Amino acid sequence: MSEAPEATDAPKSAERAESTASAGTEPVFSVRNLWKVFGPKASKIPGDTSLTGLSATELRERTGCTAAVRDVSFDVEKREVFVVMGLSGSGKSTLVRCLTRLIEPTAGKVDFNGEDVVGMDKDALRDLRRHRASMVFQNFGLLPHRSVIDNVAYGLEIQGMGKAERRERAAEMVDKVGLQGLGERRPGQLSGGQQQRVGLARALAVDPQVLLFDEPFSALDPLIRRDMQEEVIRLHREEGRTMIFITHDLSEALRLGDRIALMRDGAIVQLGTPEEIVANPADDYVRDFVRDVPREQVISVRRAMRPLDASEAADATGGATLAPDTLVSEAIEAVARSGESCRVVENGRTIGIVDHASLLTVVAGINREGESDGGGDKAKEVAAV
Amino acid sequence: MSSPTLTKDEDARPATPGPAEGPAPERPDTTPTALSRFLGNPKAVVLVCAVLVVVVSALVSGSGAWPGALTADVKSPLNDLDDWLVDNRDTHWLFLYFLLHFSNAAESSVDSITSLFDSMGWIGVTVIGTLIAWAGGGADLSRRALRTGATGLAVFLICGILGVWEPTMETLALMVVAVVCAAVLGFLLGLASGLSDRFERILRPVFDTMQVMPAFAFLLPLVLLFNIGTPSALIATVIYASPPIARLTALGLRSADPAALEASASLGASGWQQLVTAKLPLARKQMMLGLNQTIMMCLSMVVLASLIGGGGLGDEIYQALGALKIGEALVAGVAVVLLAVLLDRTTAAAGERLDDVVKAGLTKTMARLRRAVWGLIAVLIALFAAIGSAIGEGEWPDGWTVDFTNPIDTAVNWLTDHIGSGIPVLGGTITWAEGFTESVLNPLRSGLLATPWWALALLVAVIGWIVGTWRAALTGVICLALVGWMSLWDVAMDTLSQVLAGLVLTVILGVVVGILCARIDRVERIMRPVLDTMQTMPQFVYLIPVIALVGQNRTGGILAAVIYAAPAVIRITAQGLRQVDPAAMEAATSLGATGRQQLFGVQLPLARKSILVALNQGVVLVLSMVVIAGLIGGGALGYMVVQGLSKGNLSQGFPAGIAIVCLGIMLDRLSQPSKGRVRD
Repeated sequence: MSEAPEATDAPKSAERAESTASAGTEPVFSVRNLWKVFGPKASKIPGDTSLTGLSATELRERTGCTAAVRDVSFDVEKREVFVVMGLSGSGKSTLVRCLTRLIEPTAGKVDFNGEDVVGMDKDALRDLRRHRASMVFQNFGLLPHRSVIDNVAYGLEIQGMGKAERRERAAEMVDKVGLQGLGERRPGQLSGGQQQRVGLARALAVDPQVLLFDEPFSALDPLIRRDMQEEVIRLHREEGRTMIFITHDLSEALRLGDRIALMRDGAIVQLGTPEEIVANPADDYVRDFVRDVPREQVISVRRAMRPLDASEAADATGGATLAPDTLVSEAIEAVARSGESCRVVENGRTIGIVDHASLLTVVAGINREGESDGGGDKAKEVAAV
Repeated sequence: MSSPTLTKDEDARPATPGPAEGPAPERPDTTPTALSRFLGNPKAVVLVCAVLVVVVSALVSGSGAWPGALTADVKSPLNDLDDWLVDNRDTHWLFLYFLLHFSNAAESSVDSITSLFDSMGWIGVTVIGTLIAWAGGGADLSRRALRTGATGLAVFLICGILGVWEPTMETLALMVVAVVCAAVLGFLLGLASGLSDRFERILRPVFDTMQVMPAFAFLLPLVLLFNIGTPSALIATVIYASPPIARLTALGLRSADPAALEASASLGASGWQQLVTAKLPLARKQMMLGLNQTIMMCLSMVVLASLIGGGGLGDEIYQALGALKIGEALVAGVAVVLLAVLLDRTTAAAGERLDDVVKAGLTKTMARLRRAVWGLIAVLIALFAAIGSAIGEGEWPDGWTVDFTNPIDTAVNWLTDHIGSGIPVLGGTITWAEGFTESVLNPLRSGLLATPWWALALLVAVIGWIVGTWRAALTGVICLALVGWMSLWDVAMDTLSQVLAGLVLTVILGVVVGILCARIDRVERIMRPVLDTMQTMPQFVYLIPVIALVGQNRTGGILAAVIYAAPAVIRITAQGLRQVDPAAMEAATSLGATGRQQLFGVQLPLARKSILVALNQGVVLVLSMVVIAGLIGGGALGYMVVQGLSKGNLSQGFPAGIAIVCLGIMLDRLSQPSKGRVRD
């Protein structure tokens, strides 16, 4: 059981590697030791080891500076949805703006497809923003004096594309995000959800390699938020575009994220798959955060199963079978239906057994509490990828 | 200091002005007596002491003129300068190679517009004017477009019927050139200060000072450079009228939605692209508002600039006032007001249109149609310019005018005879005016004159310190000293007494009506169009009815000033009261407060800031009008400026102009809360 984290992670990353095999394994964004400090003489702070260890309040008292992003490192793989989650003020919005230097990072390294973003000159940076990474904003950032089509075509206009061509492209995008027939409206005439669809279409119109989302749905009603999340999931399924998604909403992070980086006071506290974070919180802060998550909907059977005992190993052919990636909630249904335990089968080999007891411990979170205390170090290892 | 904690807290807040204010509503457990509260507030104590010093010293000394030893002879150097200018205006390189170009360009551009109007004929001008008004309103069949178009048609026809076609065209020609120049200059300045912080820092105090300066003060320096004539009038107008559009352009650029700008940057827009595609379009509304204000200020100045040879309607008014021909002045004044209404409505409609919700699908056709209308206007101008003289006379046909002058004069005479004086018990307007002069203005003036200059300077310093900062106090004292130094102390005290009397009346009237407007919706509905119209009228026009009512004297000037300044005070007060946090009002209602308790307990205290802003505006506007009233018997500094202008007497007019500016800056600083100053 204590081996579970690695065991779970391996096939997932293998899957990811498989899906991106044609494009190579180089990460899209590679961020190393990134710092963003606001305040007087901000550039001194990341290099000063006597200061880097201080807490946020101590740092502010000592230097008058605020570290919005402190020593953050992560890779974003191709075709993955990478979610950065944290409460307001945790530095997540600053972090995502540092990636295309909408905010200049104070120190650290940001590579985009192996190119050094921090070292880019104006033209190269402009090219990056125009063609390769575009962003969707919390407050939409639409131009109220332009029609929907012209808003969507805005990025193409900036690129210098001719009017007829860009309007045609924009019209396609408007249809794609489900705003058929609204192209000539003004943003002011649309609902919040529709406005954010325009923002999404605008970002998609330039056909970027990466989409950056800065809390795009926070300003929307819960129902519309759900619609929009499904829209993003659909787009990702259809196009497989790499996405970096900022949110303060845990359920949104769990729904969308292939991997989640949880931020607090500018630093990443834990980085891992939704399942890892829920099953193995790195510390009390994270544990507190994920307390109310319905575990059966995040944790897979692989983590819930127990090894076969001798008698079961002998009789390893009968009864219902489950794939190891099946969610516990689905397994509960299968087990309840069959009335007995189910075998977990991977590549034709039975690797474990789930029964009422093992599933209930997941739902109740009993056993895992103890486990995660012991497994905390492992989770941290994952976080330090 | 052994003051109670409560007042200490109050002093800690620098924004808390007001010497006589009571303590904050949340009282400590032990309610202090009025005396101890007063003694605990050092500012109040200092103020009362200063007032006592002023009163006592005034009583004791009896005459407080500025000491002769501290004055300087400013007249002879100014006379020398004047002589030099007269001698060199046609020969010196500064004029030949620099200023002459300005005045020639100004002259020829105004002339060409005038001759264009002339060759278009009255039919052409009326048609084009109506079309432009209609296009400004949206160029469609909506109520707004039809209304502005109809206003345009009516205004031109009425101006013709009133028999003031020619001066109207002169004014309009000067307006066209002035508005274009002021808009371009203002836009460029606004662009610079909207984009560069350094420009903003340089321009802001300049604009602030210009806003305080009475329009009158702009005229003299230009006469100095360009002599009397169209160029002076035009350039004075451009300088006077460009700040609003510059200010609002800068504001629009700076307040553009940061999310939209960030989105634009995130898509890789260069600085130029961002300016053209995002910042400027987002600032359109503010820029339209600025253009509206600039146009209204242009009109006000073009009319006033008749004093320095601007010609047109203003000149008609000026001449008629000088000859006491109320009828003629009123006819020209009506034409000015009509022009003001037309220009205001048209630009306001054009501004409102930016907010319009465009129906889907209609956008393209409408845009095309609107462009077509402007094209049509351009073609028609050319057409009328070519053949206009053939289809009608250049000017409004004489037979079609109706003479209102005589009936008006008769009516005014009747008014003067019947309600001017001699009404049993009540008296009459002229009697009242005399009474006001006798019993308020004269004592106030002699009181100010009796006060020793140092006591007055002390009072100014104390008020400045209480209201603002030591800097405000210093500025006030310096301004006052400058006035004395130019040996204008007595005259300035005369002006000051008028301003103070006018200010008190304005504030009382303004705040009372403002409260009524804020609390009774019907009053608000009635007052709104009245205020709208009053705020668009050029200052000059206010003098005409006042003369008819109370004759030429200081009281007339004050009455004009009160009427002129009250709308702004009413509006700001009403707005402040209405903007009081609804939650606070609701809380008061839920606690069972009566309307009166709500007003005095919640609304007025919370709206104190806007009432202070209203006071500040009132001061500036009253001064500006009191000075212009020098034309109709207001005397004092304004009269000196008028004399200086009309006789070309630089040494008399110039120091008086500077003294007016000094008084303006002093009064502005003394009435300007140091922090969180709200601009309208």
